[in-house]
Amino acid sequence: MGPQLSWYLALSAVLFTIGAVGVIVKRNVIAMFMCIELMLNAVNLSFVAFSSFFQDVTGQLFVFIVMTVAAAEAAVGLGIIITIFRNRESLDVDDANILKL
Amino acid sequence: MSTLLFIIFAGMAIGCAIAMVSQSNPLYSAISLIGVFISLASIYVTLAAPFIAAVQVIVYAGAIMVLVIFVIMLLNVEHSEPRRKRLKFLVPMAIGMAAVLLAETVFILHSVQMTENHPAANISDVGLTHSIGVGLFTRYLLPFEITSVLLLMAIVGAMSLARRTTILSATARVVPGSQVLAMDIVNPGGVEDLRMVETETTEEAAHLLGVDFQSDRSDQE
Repeated sequence: MGPQLSWYLALSAVLFTIGAVGVIVKRNVIAMFMCIELMLNAVNLSFVAFSSFFQDVTGQLFVFIVMTVAAAEAAVGLGIIITIFRNRESLDVDDANILKL
Repeated sequence: MSTLLFIIFAGMAIGCAIAMVSQSNPLYSAISLIGVFISLASIYVTLAAPFIAAVQVIVYAGAIMVLVIFVIMLLNVEHSEPRRKRLKFLVPMAIGMAAVLLAETVFILHSVQMTENHPAANISDVGLTHSIGVGLFTRYLLPFEITSVLLLMAIVGAMSLARRTTILSATARVVPGSQVLAMDIVNPGGVEDLRMVETETTEEAAHLLGVDFQSDRSDQE
């Protein structure tokens, strides 16, 4: 007997929770960014688990699209981080408390 | 066997994720995040999704994390906490990991020789590159095209965000020793203050910028 579907979903939930806790706890904006990447990966894991257990390729297609969105998010998010750092000399999210750059 | 693999890689993923959140140095948490990505890629392999596993390693652990580490090193945020000695445990750890790697190589060579060469029973083609490509270009063509437009938007957005906005005036001269600086370089408080500040010598410019500058020309004379 191999691993059940619920095991993968439990692992996905645990990883997502750790990422969410990290977004809340962390003060460094790059660390928060990486926690968001971890949450995206937890969702990808549940997609792939469903796709594999139900023998349907759709889940893996959406994993591919989620990865593309994550890459776009990385490009734009790191550009925003660099701009914030250039203007505020700090990576603390508490220092970036107004919408104006 | 697959249960054991799941437990190993799930433990690795959770351990690396907890290490990522508990680290204070963003570089260490980035490396822990790479550990999470690698163990998730291994779980994808056990789930019979080799294409997604390869893309996970190439795109996430390769491209995105290189970008993140590049930004961490570019911004170079100094921590006020004192730097601890951490090179002591690295050498025994490296020896242990090298031993593990060697044992793995020996095991693989040994098991390749022991097993008979017969093709594995492949019950379905879900997860192979062919089925993913067929799905992506027929039934899910619209999401695919929307994703490519999203990537174009990301390129334009990243370029317009990271562009330098400081532009010197057309009358700025380049004379040796004479510097023309924008006001917001000298005074970081004033954002986009583009008034000119002229200095006569390099020493004066270094003093304005708060840089410790020693003229080596006087030593040569």
